[in-house]
Amino acid sequence: MLSTSRYRMKGMKGLVLAALVIVSLVAAACAAPAAPTSAPSAGGSTKASSGAAKRIALVTPYMANATTKQVIDLFSKYAKEKGWEVGTTDTAGDFDKLVGAIQNAVAQKVDAIVLGMGDPAQMSKGLTAAKEANIPVFGIDAGVAPDVVANITSDNAALGTMSAEDLAQRIGKKGNVVMFTHDPHPGVNARAKAAAAVFEKYPDIKVIDKRHVNVPGPVDNARKIMQDLLTARPEKGSIAGAWAGWDEPALGATQAILAAGRTEMAVVGVDGTDFAKAEIKKGGPFKSTVEQDWDGIARKTVELVGDYFQGKKLDRNLYTLPGKLITPENLK
Amino acid sequence: MKTIALRTAKSNQLYIRGLLRRYGTMAGFVMIVVFFSLLRPGTFLSPINLRNILEQISILAIVASTMTIVMVVGDFDLSIGSLASLCGVITASLLLHGVGLFPVIVAGFVLGALAGAFNGLLVSYLRLSAFVSTLATMTAFRGLALWYTDGSTLFNLPAAFLTIGQGSVGPMPAPILVVFSVLGVSWLVLTQTTLGRRWYAVGGNPEAAFLSGIDTKRLRFYAFVVSGLGASLAGIVLTSRLASAHPLAGEPLMLTSIAAVFLGMTMFKEGQPNIPGTFVGVLILGVLNNGLNIAQVNSYIQEILIGATIILAVLVSGLARRRI
Repeated sequence: MLSTSRYRMKGMKGLVLAALVIVSLVAAACAAPAAPTSAPSAGGSTKASSGAAKRIALVTPYMANATTKQVIDLFSKYAKEKGWEVGTTDTAGDFDKLVGAIQNAVAQKVDAIVLGMGDPAQMSKGLTAAKEANIPVFGIDAGVAPDVVANITSDNAALGTMSAEDLAQRIGKKGNVVMFTHDPHPGVNARAKAAAAVFEKYPDIKVIDKRHVNVPGPVDNARKIMQDLLTARPEKGSIAGAWAGWDEPALGATQAILAAGRTEMAVVGVDGTDFAKAEIKKGGPFKSTVEQDWDGIARKTVELVGDYFQGKKLDRNLYTLPGKLITPENLK
Repeated sequence: MKTIALRTAKSNQLYIRGLLRRYGTMAGFVMIVVFFSLLRPGTFLSPINLRNILEQISILAIVASTMTIVMVVGDFDLSIGSLASLCGVITASLLLHGVGLFPVIVAGFVLGALAGAFNGLLVSYLRLSAFVSTLATMTAFRGLALWYTDGSTLFNLPAAFLTIGQGSVGPMPAPILVVFSVLGVSWLVLTQTTLGRRWYAVGGNPEAAFLSGIDTKRLRFYAFVVSGLGASLAGIVLTSRLASAHPLAGEPLMLTSIAAVFLGMTMFKEGQPNIPGTFVGVLILGVLNNGLNIAQVNSYIQEILIGATIILAVLVSGLARRRI
């Protein structure tokens, strides 16, 4: 018995070894090339000569995120329309590698570096190298930093104001409101502050509760919280609306409201996700969301990079674009 | 005279300590219920709220039941949360591709069982520690779910599927019925079958169990398969309840289910994991969340209070000095 089990062990080890080999092969096949692919390798020496296509290195830690991918694809598209070459590097959340990618781009003497999200404070070493080589760095929804020429992003406060204003109008500027927030997230935090300021503006609107929503699992968490708040105030009309800092808790709140039959309420979210749009289309309590204008952000970034190439001086280092309100009315 | 008095005092003390150990957690639970009933009379104990509580704990109760079995054999399964999410997104995506309801549910269970079997293989046969191997598979399952969905939420699921998590039989929401079935079956298997008693033997003293002719490896392997099945069931019910599947939706389940089993271990049977205890543990966590929400206690304070409750329960039961 012992010997057979030992044989079995050996067979098992072989299997595991085989599995490991397969895994590493697959990983090698899937791995993204480390350097910007479309940047010609000999380009460094020809850079000075005019007329050559401008080369842009786009680095991002978040390509796996659908929104990041969307804005990067849009940027690449508009940049190519300008005749520029764009090489993209994704470091899958690794900021150390991201610094390396920026340094590679500097070594290849690209004409500009674009950050596809990610906090510039975590890549200062790479940014310094770019600055020393006189290569401009632009940020798409990245963050303002001394070595970033300009950051182009949505104005989170404006997103919050827009959605809160919509909720206020839909509940007739009066009644009790619940807020779903996540203060540790700077963007959601800014939205919530702006939304609270809107509600304060209306004397008949009262924010009766501000709830922190747990992440991950925000839909389920918000659903439970909303269910309990409705239990605590069972009379119809005792809660007029719910404001959520992003779409997931708005969805959870909507489900609790539907289950409790309190359909007199209105819910608004922020982000313009597909599932939010589908819910809004149904004409239920989920009334609106605010979509970030990624297309506009991509176009603006290309425009600013172009201005820079033509020697125009940029007047500031932060450009914000307003969001677009998505309602049942404009979804039809 | 003096010695006798001392002895009675000491035996009294021991008696009280014994009572606290056995019934402290249960008493704590009752106190929590009484407290919220007095704080919000008419609301907290209303039939609607009691139903809400059961509905809110349903998914946690499912994974906590199967986690109990893994913990009976002396292991942990850290991968259940991300496995639940993975099963959720796979079933949702199959449904969106037009596959029928029944095959989809079977596929979800098969995926859960296979993933559980993989954990079991690593822990039982390749002798990796349960902590390391399920930590690794947790990361891998999460990666698979994120990669498969590209980080997005899947929705627009067929109405028939939504009845699992949202429908009801009479006044009873369907998920609660699922929970009671899972609790019942787990309890029966653990206490009334040879398999269950052997699981306890493996967890109590693996060497003695091995020497008495029990195939400890196979039994630990089975425990992980059961855990995988529990995770997939939880993932399916959660997806149906939320009418959407998110690649991270099940993540909070892992730590809370372990906490529930620990709370349950403070009741009954010498600090062993057990199903009635786990159910009370789940109820304590659920009632705390629900009651604090109804009382509109600040979200951050809620987390502190829940943490303090777990520590208190373990301290009072004397488990702190024994195993944990």
